Amino acid sequence: MVSELPWDSKTGTLKRELAQGMMDPASRRALEAALQIKETQGAHICAVTMGPVMAQEILHQAMALGADAGVLLTDRRMAGADTFLTSHILSLFIQREYENFDLVICGSQTSDSETGQVGPQLAEALNIPAIGYVNQISVKENTVEAQRHVDDFFEILIMDLPGLITIDLSAYKPRYLALEGVEKAFENPDIRRIDVTGLGLDESFNALKDSPTRIIDVFSPTSQGNNRVLKGAVKKVIDQLFDEYGKVISSAMGKDLKTHEHDEV
Amino acid sequence: MDFNPCMKHQLIRKTVREFVESEIKPHVALMDKESRFPWEIVDKMKPLNFFGLQAPRIYGGADLDTISYAITIEELSRVSAALGLCVTVHNSVGIYPILKFGTSEQKKRFVPAMARGDSIGAFCLTEANAGSDAGGVETNAVELKDSFILNGTKIFVTNGGVCGTILVFAISEGKDQKSHASVFIVEKDRPGFSVGEIEDLCGMRANPVSSLFFEDCKVPKTNLLGKMGQGMKIGLTALDTGRIGIAAQALGIAQAAFESSVSYAKERQQFNQPLSKFQTIQNYLADMATKIDASRLLLYRAAACKDSGKTFSAEASMAKLFCSGTAKEVTDLAVQIHGGYGYSKEYDVERYFRDAKVTQIYEGTSEVQKMVIARSILSRPS
Amino acid sequence: MMKSTKEIWVFGDYRNYFQNRVTLQILSRAVDLASNTGGKVCAVVLGHKVNEYVAEYIAHGAQKVYAMDDPRLSLYSLETYSRLLTGLAKTYQPETILVGATRFGQEMAPRVAKQLGTGLTADCIDLEINEKGLLVQIAPSFGGNLIAKIITPVKRPQMATVRPGTFQEQPHDYQATGEILILSLPEDLPKDRIRLLTSEHRPSKKQKIEDADIVICGGRGMGSKGKFKKLFDLAALMNAEVGATRPVVYSEWVSHHALVGQAGKNIKPKILMSFGISGAIQHTAALTDADFIIAINKNPNATMMKMADVAIVADANQACLGIMKALKEKIRD
Repeated sequence: MVSELPWDSKTGTLKRELAQGMMDPASRRALEAALQIKETQGAHICAVTMGPVMAQEILHQAMALGADAGVLLTDRRMAGADTFLTSHILSLFIQREYENFDLVICGSQTSDSETGQVGPQLAEALNIPAIGYVNQISVKENTVEAQRHVDDFFEILIMDLPGLITIDLSAYKPRYLALEGVEKAFENPDIRRIDVTGLGLDESFNALKDSPTRIIDVFSPTSQGNNRVLKGAVKKVIDQLFDEYGKVISSAMGKDLKTHEHDEV
Repeated sequence: MDFNPCMKHQLIRKTVREFVESEIKPHVALMDKESRFPWEIVDKMKPLNFFGLQAPRIYGGADLDTISYAITIEELSRVSAALGLCVTVHNSVGIYPILKFGTSEQKKRFVPAMARGDSIGAFCLTEANAGSDAGGVETNAVELKDSFILNGTKIFVTNGGVCGTILVFAISEGKDQKSHASVFIVEKDRPGFSVGEIEDLCGMRANPVSSLFFEDCKVPKTNLLGKMGQGMKIGLTALDTGRIGIAAQALGIAQAAFESSVSYAKERQQFNQPLSKFQTIQNYLADMATKIDASRLLLYRAAACKDSGKTFSAEASMAKLFCSGTAKEVTDLAVQIHGGYGYSKEYDVERYFRDAKVTQIYEGTSEVQKMVIARSILSRPS
Repeated sequence: MMKSTKEIWVFGDYRNYFQNRVTLQILSRAVDLASNTGGKVCAVVLGHKVNEYVAEYIAHGAQKVYAMDDPRLSLYSLETYSRLLTGLAKTYQPETILVGATRFGQEMAPRVAKQLGTGLTADCIDLEINEKGLLVQIAPSFGGNLIAKIITPVKRPQMATVRPGTFQEQPHDYQATGEILILSLPEDLPKDRIRLLTSEHRPSKKQKIEDADIVICGGRGMGSKGKFKKLFDLAALMNAEVGATRPVVYSEWVSHHALVGQAGKNIKPKILMSFGISGAIQHTAALTDADFIIAINKNPNATMMKMADVAIVADANQACLGIMKALKEKIRD
C-alpha cells in the first residue's frame, strides 16, 4: 500500500467563453475519470482552473461533485495567455503546491479553442509522459494503463507515473450533480485563489506580451452572408460547385479533392 | 440590496437545467400525449435530491434555502410542468408539514423514505363539496382507543396515482359538539385506502391527479399529525409554503413560453422580414419579459421572507397570484406569436398554454389569494 | 520581401497511408510557401523501413529528407518521436515545422513546441506568408464560430498543425530528386515512459447525426423512397450522415431517427447539403448552427435556397447522382 493517498490533479483550462461559468464538457469528463478513481482506489483530487474570478463557480461545481480542493489561478496579467503560457502557469502551480502528485487529468480539448495543446504542453513543462484521447484508465501502483482509439488504431498503453492523461470527449460520461452537493460546496469550501505573485512569477509578467503566438485578426466565417446561385445544366453547375467551393468541401471531408491547380500563395 | 443571483444560485440553476434538458426534455411531448408518469425518470431524479430539496441532511435531504428551492422548481417546470408539480407538492405539502408539525418519531418514520423519493407525498384537502371553501370538508375521522377511522373521498389529488404517503385533512366532532379539522398521515398500504380513476385533464397530463377513497381506513394514533383540531393551522402553513412552489412552477412555464417565442420571432419570416422586426411582436416580447421579471422578484422576495423567519403568507400569495397570472398571459401571447404552428402539437407552446391555466386555480384560486392579501392589508395597524 | 534560406519542415505522418495523405497535402503547401520565402522544403521521416515514404515525399515536393530508420522506431511512439524531432530541430534550426493534425500529430506537436520554447497553432485551415515573411496561421476558434489569424513573431521555429483535407497534393513527380540525410538515433535516447501493449488497426464506428461534420438532408423533392436512398450512397462517399424532413419521415422513406427539425434533431455540421427541401420553419430552425449550406432545388424561390450559401437550381435527384459521380472521380485514393 502506498503511504500517502495518490494525488490527482485535474485541470480544466478555462478561457474567455466560459464566462457562462459552466465547466467545459471535456473537463467534466476528466473530473468524472478522477472521481471514479477516487471511488475505487481512494485519491485526493484537486481541481485547478485558470481564468477570471467568475470561473470560481466551476470549482464549486467540481467540489460539489467530489473534488477535495479547488484552486483558481487568476490575475489580470494572465489574460491573453496562449497554450504555451497557460501550461507554464499551471505547471508552476503544480510544482509549488503538489510536487508529489501522481496524475494530472485534463479534457482532451476545450470547447472554446479546441487546440488540445494544453495537456501535452503541461506534461512537457512538468517533464512527465502524457497519453491523449484516452477512454479508459486503470491506475496501478506506479503506472497507469490507458486505452484509446485514435487515428483508426485501437491501443492499450502503460505509462509510468507521475504522468498526464487527457480524456476523450466520448469517454467517462459525467455524472449529474446532486443538489445536496451544491449546497455543501458553498459551505467552507477549500478554494484558493492564486495570482502571479503567488506563483513566484515576476511582477512584470504579462501573458499577452509573453505568449509566443499572437492573434492578429479574428473574423466570422459566415459574415459574408452570401447567397451564390448556380443555374444551368446539371454537370455544369456541379463542376462550378467544386471549382468554387472544392476547398470547403475537401476540408469538411478531411480528404483531398482533385479540383483544380493548387493555389499560389 | 443585491439583485444579482449569487454563485450558489447560479450553480443550482445550471445543475438542474443540465439534468432536465438531457434526461427529461426528450420525453415531455410523449409524456403529455400519453398522460404517462415517467417512473424511469423519477428513478434518475431520486439520487439528485429532487425529492428531499429542503429536508434536513439527517433525513437525507439537501437542506436547500428557499430561493434555491424555487430555482429548482422553476427549472424543472420550464421543461416539464407536470414533473415540477409532482416535486413541489411532494416537498412543500408532503414533507414540509411533517417536518414542521411532526413528532421526532414521525419525522424519522416518514421523512427519510420521502426524501429519497421512495415514497411520494400528497396532501388531500379538496372534495366534491369543498374547493375554495375548506369548511365544506366532509371526510371524517372517528377516534377509537388505539386508532382513527377515516371515511370520505378526496378529489383532484395531485400525485394521487403515485403517492405513498398521504396527508389527509379530515374533520372530527369534538367534545363541544363542534367540528374540528385535523391532519392524518395515511400510508398507501393501509386497509381501506384506494386510488380512484386518474383524471383526464387539460394540462399537466403527466401528473396522475386522481380521487382518493377512504373507506373505514384505519390508521394508528401515531399517525395524527400535530394535535387534534390543528388541521386548519397545518393546512394554512402548508399552503403558504406550497404557494411559493406553485409560483415557481408557473414562472418556469412562463419562461419556457417566452424563450420559445423569442427564438421563433427571430427565425420566422413574413413580409420579407423576421417577426422580431415588427413593433407589435416587440411589444408582446417586452410585456412578457417585464411580467416574468416582476414575477421572479416577487417569488424570491417571498422565499427570502420565509427563510428569514418572518410570516410570509401575504408575500407567498402575491407571488402565486402574480406568477400564475403571468404564466397565463405569457403562454397566451406565445401561442399567438407562433400563429397556426402555436396551435399544433408539433410545437411545445400549446402544451405550455394548457399547463398554465391551472396555476391560477390550484393551491388556492387567484380569488382566494386576493382574499389572503386583502386580509393582510386590512389587519395591519394603520 | 525578406528572403530566408532556412527550411520548412513537414513531419512525415505515414500511418494509415492510403487514407491519410495529410503529409503530401502539407508538402504541396510548403512548396508554395517556400517559393515566397526562398526556403527549402524538407520532410522528416522517423520509422523503420521508410524508403518508400522517403521516395514518395520527394516525389511530392520535398527537396530534402531527414530520415531515421531503425527497428526501435517501427511503431509510432509519442515520447521517442517528439524527442527525436526536437533534437533534429535544435541541430538543424528550421524556420518552420508543419505537422498534420492527426491525433498523433496533435499530441506530438505541442510537446515539441514546448520543448523548443516556441508557439504552435493547432488545426490550421490555411497558411500564408505575410508581407514581413512571417507564417500566418489561420485556424478556427470558439468552436468554429470564428476564425483567427495567428503569427509567431519572435520565437523559432514557427509551428502549426494542419487539418487533413485542407490542402491539395501535388501530382506525383517521377523525375523529382532530393537530398536524403540518413541519421542514426542519438546514443543517449532515454527510455520510453510509455509502452505500447497493443496496437490494432480498427476503423472508427458510425457517428451520430448531431456530431457529423457533413449532413445530407433530403426532402420530398427527391421524388421517391428509392431515389431518396441514393443520399445514403452519397453520404458514404463523404463520411456524412443523412437527415430528413417531416413529410419524408411520415411517408416512411427513412426512419424517424433521421428527422431534422423542431421535433427531431438539431445539427451543427461544417457542411449541410439540402436536397429537394423547400424550407419550412420546423426544419430550418434546426439548421442555424450549420457552418455552410449548399441547397439544391428545382425552385429557385424556395426558402431553403434563400438561406443557403450556395443555391443550385437543379433537380435534386439528378444533382445527387451528379455530385456522387464527380466525387468518385475527384477523391484521391
